[in-house]
Amino acid sequence: MDLFLQTLVNGILIGGILICLTIGFQLTFGVLHVIDFAVGGWTMLGGYTAYWLVTLAGIDPFISIFLVFALFLLIGRGLGPLIYHVRTSRYARPDLMALAFTFGIFLFMRGGALWLWSYNSRSVDSVLSGQFLSLGPVTIPLMRLSAFLLAMLFSLGLFILLYRSRFGMAVRALAQNHDHAGLMGVDVKRVSAWVYGIYTALTASAGVLIATIYSVNPSVGIRYTLFAFFVAVLAGLGSVGGVLVAGLALGLLEAYVATYIGARYSLLIVFGTLYLVLLVAPKGVLGRGI
Amino acid sequence: MASKPVLTPKLIVRALLIGAVVIALTVLPAFIDSYTLRIATGALMWAGLACAWNIVGGYAGYISFGHSAFFGIGAYTTAILMQSNIGASFFVTLLPAIILSIAVAVAIGGPTMRLRGAYFAIATWAFAEMLLQLATVLDFTGGTAGLSLPAYLNEFFFYYTMLIASAASFIGVWLLIERSRFGFRIKALRDDEPAAESLGIRTNLVKVQSFALSAAITALFGSIYAYWTTYIDPYSVMGPEITDQMVVMVLLGGLGTVWGPALGGVLLWITNRYIWSTFGDTVIYLPILGVIIALVVLFLPNGLISLIVGRQRGKELISRILGKL
Repeated sequence: MDLFLQTLVNGILIGGILICLTIGFQLTFGVLHVIDFAVGGWTMLGGYTAYWLVTLAGIDPFISIFLVFALFLLIGRGLGPLIYHVRTSRYARPDLMALAFTFGIFLFMRGGALWLWSYNSRSVDSVLSGQFLSLGPVTIPLMRLSAFLLAMLFSLGLFILLYRSRFGMAVRALAQNHDHAGLMGVDVKRVSAWVYGIYTALTASAGVLIATIYSVNPSVGIRYTLFAFFVAVLAGLGSVGGVLVAGLALGLLEAYVATYIGARYSLLIVFGTLYLVLLVAPKGVLGRGI
Repeated sequence: MASKPVLTPKLIVRALLIGAVVIALTVLPAFIDSYTLRIATGALMWAGLACAWNIVGGYAGYISFGHSAFFGIGAYTTAILMQSNIGASFFVTLLPAIILSIAVAVAIGGPTMRLRGAYFAIATWAFAEMLLQLATVLDFTGGTAGLSLPAYLNEFFFYYTMLIASAASFIGVWLLIERSRFGFRIKALRDDEPAAESLGIRTNLVKVQSFALSAAITALFGSIYAYWTTYIDPYSVMGPEITDQMVVMVLLGGLGTVWGPALGGVLLWITNRYIWSTFGDTVIYLPILGVIIALVVLFLPNGLISLIVGRQRGKELISRILGKL
């Protein structure tokens, strides 16, 4: 029973970070109609940025995460217009071209990271490493708890932005209909670019938290792209609210598989489940809408 | 009523050109050393793989990120059947490899190709990753340690096997897609699926057929590759790099064209080997692939082949690029 409770807590804590990882991805799909293959790439780059910030400048990842957020907000804002351009171009299949384009970006990130930093895993140290909080039978690493809380803070911030600001209203209008939003005076191109920026910033921040809890190497990107896909598909592509449930579901699934079946099967079972969900309920288990 | 002339000058030129290429490829091994021969064998393989991917990605308009799974199925079938406890000969293993890959393609293609583009891409990718993980945990695949095959060190044999397989793939695709009703169906469903369906095309059937054909060719090359390299492990035959290369080769050469994949495959493979011999490894090759995809999507969506034949000539391309700056 203790093991069961401990696994439950671990699953929820990781699930919170997966929410932060996927929520921006969903927003991008809802607004730009782009499936971004590079989502794991942004996660990885966020982790590496935190690694270099703590190694070279000694900035703790729980502080540098805000720097990472700002940095990737600008990078994403810069890249956004290109994505928008490809998605709205007059190719035969702009959706597939956009998919191929982000696939290229992802390949560039993964290959570039391999080239620059080799296959080695790097761990990101924090002052919170190795500290624990005991709650009855359950032991909670302080780092995971803080990471969870930060991830929730970022996700909550996105919801406040979406539902309590003029910019958020413009984003929601875009998600409903590009043409109508444009006619109502929304600068479609600019808002889309900022949405892409917010997405990369959120995903890179989640990457900092993941790198702090585990470690980071160039091939983690593929894993987290698939995790993001999993959560997104379970929630229904484009559904931001559904991510809250689906992220926790994946966190719990992975934790229980790792505890009771064996860690080396966890990826296999996660991918198998994703595949089954796609077949049984391709529109998502939880409905859609922003 | 004037009948269509059988031999137009254009056709004669084309036939002469193809004949010249065939003869050149046949006599090539006599003039090059064994190192270059290996590169040529690899180039033939990648051209064939790109051709296979193009059937689904280019003609049917369904981007598959899971073709490494079929390459791996072919490689592992051959490797497992050629282990000393079974001891099948190489050519005998080709048939089960192809049948298995078709069975898997039908089993996963049937349900997933009902999903539209993006979902299909995700589903195939998840499937390929799942198979990769499976190969690392199962016993009869040798796990992460991989499998060794009986070595057959005859480079000429592999060159000609790859040549025949590759030529058969291209001729088969040309006949099936450019010269038959199947080709019209598959292109119709790419361009407008509901419209194709309303004309009585059974789109789900056509999609699965094209996916199975593509998978079978990919598995065939996987089998030959396994015998050629004599050692396989999960990442060398099912790793994401295999799919990555196939996608980029087709995009670079030209989506949905017969000869584009050949052009893209040969060019990129030579680039790959050149980088390998210059830098000692191919790590820098991956970011280059990424940049190529992004540039092709932005500036050359119809691929390199469109510069040689078709609407988009080089001059126009340059003005397009300048117009965007």
